[in-house]
Amino acid sequence: MASLKRSLDSDPFAANISSKVYVRSTKRGKVQKIVREVYLRQDIPCSSKLCQSCLRSAPTDAAGRSTPFVLSEAPAGTSVYQQGHYLVPDTNAFLTAMDLFEQSAAFYDVVVLQVVLEELRNRSLPLYNRLINLTKSEDKRFYVFFNEFRLETHVARQEGESVNDRNDRAVRKAVAWYAQHLARTGAEKVPAVVMLTNDRDNLRKAKLEDIPACSLADYVRQLKDGDKLLDMIPETQDQDVVKERRPGDLLYPEYFSMSKMMTGVKGGLLHQGTFNVSPYNYLEGSIRVPAFPKALLILGRENINRAIDGDLVVVEVLPKDQWKEPSTQVIEEDAITKNENPDAGENEALVSERERKALQEEVRRTHGKTTEGHAQPTAKVVGVIKRNWRQYVGHIDQSSVSQSAQQGRKQDTVFVIPMDRKIPKIRLRTRQVAELVGKRILVTIDAWDRGSRHPSGHFVRSLGELETKAAETEALLLEYDVQYRPFPKTVLDCLPKEGHDWKVPQSLDDPGWRDREDLRGLLICSIDPIGCQDIDDALHSRPLPNGNVEVGVHIADVSHFVRPNNAMDNEASIRGTTVYLVDKRIDMLPMLLGTDLCSLKPHVERYAFSVIWEMSPDADVVNVRFTKSVIKSREAFSYEQAQLRVDDGSQQDDLTKSIRALLGLSKKLKQKRLDAGALSLSSPEVKVQMESETSDPIDVKTKELLDTMSLVEEFMLLANTSVARKIHEAFPQTAILRRHGAPPKTNFDELADQLRVKRGLDLSVESSRALADSLDACVDPSEPFFNTLVRIMATRCMMAAEYFCSGTQAYPEFRHYGLASEIYTHFTSPIRRYADLAAHRQLAAAIGYETVDPSVRSRGRLEAVCKNINVRHRNAQLAGRASIAYYVGQALRGKATEEDGFVMKIFSNGFVVLVPRFGIESLIRLRDLAEPEPQAEFDAETYTLETSGSRAVKVELFQKVRVHVTDQKDETTGKRGVKMELVKVC
Amino acid sequence: MPLDTSAYNLALLRVDGRRWNELRRVHAQIRTQAAADGSSYLEMGHTKVMCVVTGPSEPGPRRGGAGAGGGGGSGGKDAEVAVSIVIAGFSSVDRKRHGKGDKRTLELQSTVSNALSASLHTHLFPHSQINISLHVLSQDGSLLAALINAATLACVDAGIPMTDYVAACTAGSTSTYAANDEAADPLLDLNHQEEQELPGLTVATLGNSDRVAVLVCESRVQVGRLEGMLAVGVDGCKQMREILDRVVREKGQRMIQEGTVERGVGLNDMDVD
Repeated sequence: MASLKRSLDSDPFAANISSKVYVRSTKRGKVQKIVREVYLRQDIPCSSKLCQSCLRSAPTDAAGRSTPFVLSEAPAGTSVYQQGHYLVPDTNAFLTAMDLFEQSAAFYDVVVLQVVLEELRNRSLPLYNRLINLTKSEDKRFYVFFNEFRLETHVARQEGESVNDRNDRAVRKAVAWYAQHLARTGAEKVPAVVMLTNDRDNLRKAKLEDIPACSLADYVRQLKDGDKLLDMIPETQDQDVVKERRPGDLLYPEYFSMSKMMTGVKGGLLHQGTFNVSPYNYLEGSIRVPAFPKALLILGRENINRAIDGDLVVVEVLPKDQWKEPSTQVIEEDAITKNENPDAGENEALVSERERKALQEEVRRTHGKTTEGHAQPTAKVVGVIKRNWRQYVGHIDQSSVSQSAQQGRKQDTVFVIPMDRKIPKIRLRTRQVAELVGKRILVTIDAWDRGSRHPSGHFVRSLGELETKAAETEALLLEYDVQYRPFPKTVLDCLPKEGHDWKVPQSLDDPGWRDREDLRGLLICSIDPIGCQDIDDALHSRPLPNGNVEVGVHIADVSHFVRPNNAMDNEASIRGTTVYLVDKRIDMLPMLLGTDLCSLKPHVERYAFSVIWEMSPDADVVNVRFTKSVIKSREAFSYEQAQLRVDDGSQQDDLTKSIRALLGLSKKLKQKRLDAGALSLSSPEVKVQMESETSDPIDVKTKELLDTMSLVEEFMLLANTSVARKIHEAFPQTAILRRHGAPPKTNFDELADQLRVKRGLDLSVESSRALADSLDACVDPSEPFFNTLVRIMATRCMMAAEYFCSGTQAYPEFRHYGLASEIYTHFTSPIRRYADLAAHRQLAAAIGYETVDPSVRSRGRLEAVCKNINVRHRNAQLAGRASIAYYVGQALRGKATEEDGFVMKIFSNGFVVLVPRFGIESLIRLRDLAEPEPQAEFDAETYTLETSGSRAVKVELFQKVRVHVTDQKDETTGKRGVKMELVKVC
Repeated sequence: MPLDTSAYNLALLRVDGRRWNELRRVHAQIRTQAAADGSSYLEMGHTKVMCVVTGPSEPGPRRGGAGAGGGGGSGGKDAEVAVSIVIAGFSSVDRKRHGKGDKRTLELQSTVSNALSASLHTHLFPHSQINISLHVLSQDGSLLAALINAATLACVDAGIPMTDYVAACTAGSTSTYAANDEAADPLLDLNHQEEQELPGLTVATLGNSDRVAVLVCESRVQVGRLEGMLAVGVDGCKQMREILDRVVREKGQRMIQEGTVERGVGLNDMDVD
């Protein structure tokens, strides 16, 4: 019997083989031990341009190309390392101060070790991605050195050594190797290789081993102009002495351990969900969990336990005696914690005196209730699964700045008030208080430990003076995560070389004409808002001999120019949508395409993707076909022009007649849709008028509704629905569609109750049809706006529509609730929405125009795209609204008017008024009514607030009021907004 | 947890530190079981298989048509190559029981059987059966390739006449199908992680020629990349043949030195020193 045993010495590879053993746990909680081979080698280059020997053995890819070396031959020096230096940061340096590495003043020639990269990836994927992006940027000169695969720098874990210690040792070894290796190059000035770490133990060991190392703070101090950068180092890191705390000092309860939370969630005792803060009360949050139909309430600082809006948290339901009603009070953070001292923090009680007072009131009110049924289940946060922290825009709270800090450059602690009201104040340590006061600044949150009332963060950069247009616009874009940087060169390289001179080829044999229909002879026109440059769609109609009508919708053929998977496509899929601000547009595609080559401009030939129906005079679709085409638009109308033309009886040319025919059909289409139960919802929309030269806002107008708008809308809806059917038929698993879920009935509970109590009206929500009908019935003969008001409030109870990949949902779930359509997608605006572009590609494949690109078929990828564009779409909407709100504020600046308003929401200490003329809503608090604050009696049953004492008024829900509108700078958010004062109740 | 395969482009290094055109360490032994007609043990990285060949012999009583393999019926004029594969429960990370009728195993069996039938001179042994039993002890990617290689070695050991070695290995590509990266490098010899994340194929060639005996591709990949992958795979097969050949020669040499066998006719051209 031969033995299988063999001695390792006989194996020539033995020295070069190692293995990596680690343990991982799966999602189901199973523990797996993984063993991986590791091949050690000596041809991993140091990538320094000084080194010749590495250059000779540099690896090549399959095509024989090698990667150019990255690290500069003459790197920058510091006051200590004057000969120049390469940096080798450890994982913590990246974890805590990625912003530092990203800024452009310093931090060049950085060696990123594999061990660091791996650790970073495990700790934070977003940071890992940011670092990968840095390594790709050419001017930052970041090089990833695979130390674990290089024979000389590979480190095996010793017995009893912790993983962290082993990794630290690996970093030190790599640094030492680099220094030795560079010394051998024989260069005149050999750069120092400096390890960056904040770990004191690691620093000490490095000192023993004679390896140059320093902490982040020390390093930054060596730099020229380092003071400014010091602020970007998170404060927890530069506190050398961690203050010993007695247990009593801890303000917040400790989080459960991860395993305890997991077991709890699995057992159904704990619940996991995303934490949302109420926009009216910063001490009240809610969380939707799969186990219950309604959201759980989370009340008070202690129960919220350091969760921040958007975090993925685990909660525990509180005992029934702690269940409460959602607060009917408005609590704003700034009003209550106004006088806090940012330096304090330690010796304070968790619940401040004033917060406690607010709580007492709450209790009194709850006890005063006779009915008990109102109490809602409450919960407390016991742990955070995943933080959703990002960078926040805010400004420094003036009142938290001490006098001395205004002058010197001493490090000082101040509060930053984020623009987003749902985010708590952030404690910031900075040396540049004097410069930063009155500026919009970008900060990040680093940590929130149990001993600190507020999270602590660090400064990233300043955007500029408060209330300047540039700073506010940038703040807005950052806040909604809109990609607003100019398109990089790689993207611009994907554009047609002819630039603006590009034309539809003359010869019909050109490949561009393949399978395209020549529709240049048709009377096509486009109808858009005034000043629209990116014209996505155009229409035509003509009578057919059999009495039917041919209707065509022609959409810009963007997919002809944006090929799948090139740089431009990737950029567009990241941007997801064009964002429209009042004075600015952030394009999804480069200008050349959006406003010229793709745009269906009048009088020029353009490629288009056409949907052509044959319709009966009753607007029934007889048949539909899809084709790529070439069109020549005859005219680009604005809605107003088109309306005038249609209304003007003297215009009898063919183009006008065809628009009239379209208008007739569109009205029938709309009626059909409404009969099927489509909702007509409402949101207060206004338009800011700008002075044409200075682009300063001068007036605010509510948007008008014209017939021609609904004309365009109806045909676009029809085109979208037709396309949705077609692509779903062709790609049952991967079609990109859009759905709008039916809202849960409970969403309407409050509104239905309010309508019943206040107006005796009944809101039925069984189906979209029933809802549409009952909304139609909500009329107040004396107040025409009442119906709109109810529609606005109903809209807020709806779910958001979303893009999805058809394979992820069952067919009945495809339904678009608002449009009452079985299936729907977005097809008609490919210039400004990525979903439409994807639909174009799928449709082109469905009609056999081109082969299917893999990216259009891979379901995983499409799901990721859908997820991204859903977020982008929502952010774009929010950014657009915020931009309008800002300009409304600016337009009202210095003006004071009296307007009609309506009470939309009522609290025990204030109420919200909507002013339709400006499309704004604002809170009027009791203390705004009169000085001193009047006494108030709030009746939650009848939604009535009656004040007495210094001023006696009775305010009810839905009531019309007269308010005095002025502008006011909001101290909390630093935004200019409107301030309303109650003049009288009508 | 280590990095995934997307890190390749950072330094042209794969997840285990290899370059695109490198095989894993291959270790092989033949005649591991003296009692068997032919036997072998083969490791490709952490994929470990062993093989025992019995036959050619008279076919035993048919067991209810449990057709393990093909290569012509035992009643025919060619010998039947019957392959049975047992995948040990402990061979992968999660302990898993592989039943007899497991579809994947059946497919592996018939692939191995067809591959060897192409090289073995089965026509010399009519009405007989060659039984190849393969045992998988540990899995870390390229399983089919390892099975074919081990079976070839065992058949050599059993002394069954064959045209040449059937050497197999896998090839892949550095980026996924969906990423559609034109510049993706081909990869040689995928390990388990790469097999999970990247497109790949298994190829086996006959001896030193470019004749492909087996080509299995179960993942989606662009046609444009296939050529490169195949070229790298065929090249890998040649390297693999060299390794197998060396194992056989070394063993033969030792056996002659130990006097187990006599230097016979036809061994003259073999370099024995």
